[in-house]
Amino acid sequence: MIDADYILNSLTKTFPNDLSESKIESDMRLTSYVEKDAIFNVCKHMLDNLECNHLSCECGVDYPDRNELEVVYHIASYEHPVVITLKVKLPRDDPEIESIVSIYWNANWYERETYELYGIMYKNHPDLKPLLLIDEMLGDWPLRKDYEGFPNKTSKNLV
Amino acid sequence: MGEVIENVSFTTTSAISDFLKKTPAQDIINWGRKNSLWFLTQPMGCCGVEMISTGCSHYDTDRFGIIPRDSPRQADVIVISGYVTKKYLPALKRVWDQMPSPKWIICMGDCSISGGPFYESYSTVQNIDEIFPVDVFIPGCPPRPEALIQGFIELQKKIMAKKDLGTDY
Ligand code: SF4
Repeated sequence: MIDADYILNSLTKTFPNDLSESKIESDMRLTSYVEKDAIFNVCKHMLDNLECNHLSCECGVDYPDRNELEVVYHIASYEHPVVITLKVKLPRDDPEIESIVSIYWNANWYERETYELYGIMYKNHPDLKPLLLIDEMLGDWPLRKDYEGFPNKTSKNLV
Repeated sequence: MGEVIENVSFTTTSAISDFLKKTPAQDIINWGRKNSLWFLTQPMGCCGVEMISTGCSHYDTDRFGIIPRDSPRQADVIVISGYVTKKYLPALKRVWDQMPSPKWIICMGDCSISGGPFYESYSTVQNIDEIFPVDVFIPGCPPRPEALIQGFIELQKKIMAKKDLGTDY
């Protein structure tokens, strides 16, 4: 039976130096920070050896006071009831990370959206271009906390 | 080498146009127009779901001549049913241009009127009435199907009174 314990053991054995602050919340939930260079191999290991075959979401978080951006991966499985949360810290001025589209195909649009809203660059993404925003807004990164769009870049004020 | 016809006045395009616009013929035409307001099935936000259900059999809008159509070429009314994002606005303009005249616009829901919950958002367009000639505004988030039907009836009244913006008289 593969549960959160088993997955953490397997991950720490394969990547002894790359995991930190790992926390098992229950049989089904595991949270961990991963080094940014290791995330591709960790995801590959999860898919190939641990049957975690469902990337349920991938998103960004902005922490301006730590001067960091985080990419958060929620990886689940169709075979056993676990949801793994992996987080990667990136520097705010040069956020760049390996794309995982070649492992989980549905990461494609998640990464495009995270790119246009937070400005996180995904290396080796097949087609990194804006998904929901117009091309002219590229570079504004509207979901970063210091975005000052209003009133010049948002919709017009009525009053 | 035809015969010369005397005492016959030929009509011109402008004479036909004058006849249609300045005589009660216009009222008859408008009566026909108002009773066949086919609207475009073009749901854009959560209001779009209400719009679709309005077009379904439960609310029976056919009794007013209001029928959902799938193609802009066959539609008379476009219902802006939800938020207009900056990305979608060019497509919406294009759909509007594809519709044959006379055509009307109904703004449904707070989003399309003033921004609604997406007021001051970075990705939506506000003040749709500056972009399109809107005839009827239906407030609500979302408006009930009955409200949409009432909006159509208000549009019918405007057409009969020749107060609508969709046709130039
Ligand atoms: S007005 Fe309300 S229901 Fe309609 S599209 Fe906007 S948020 Fe959705």
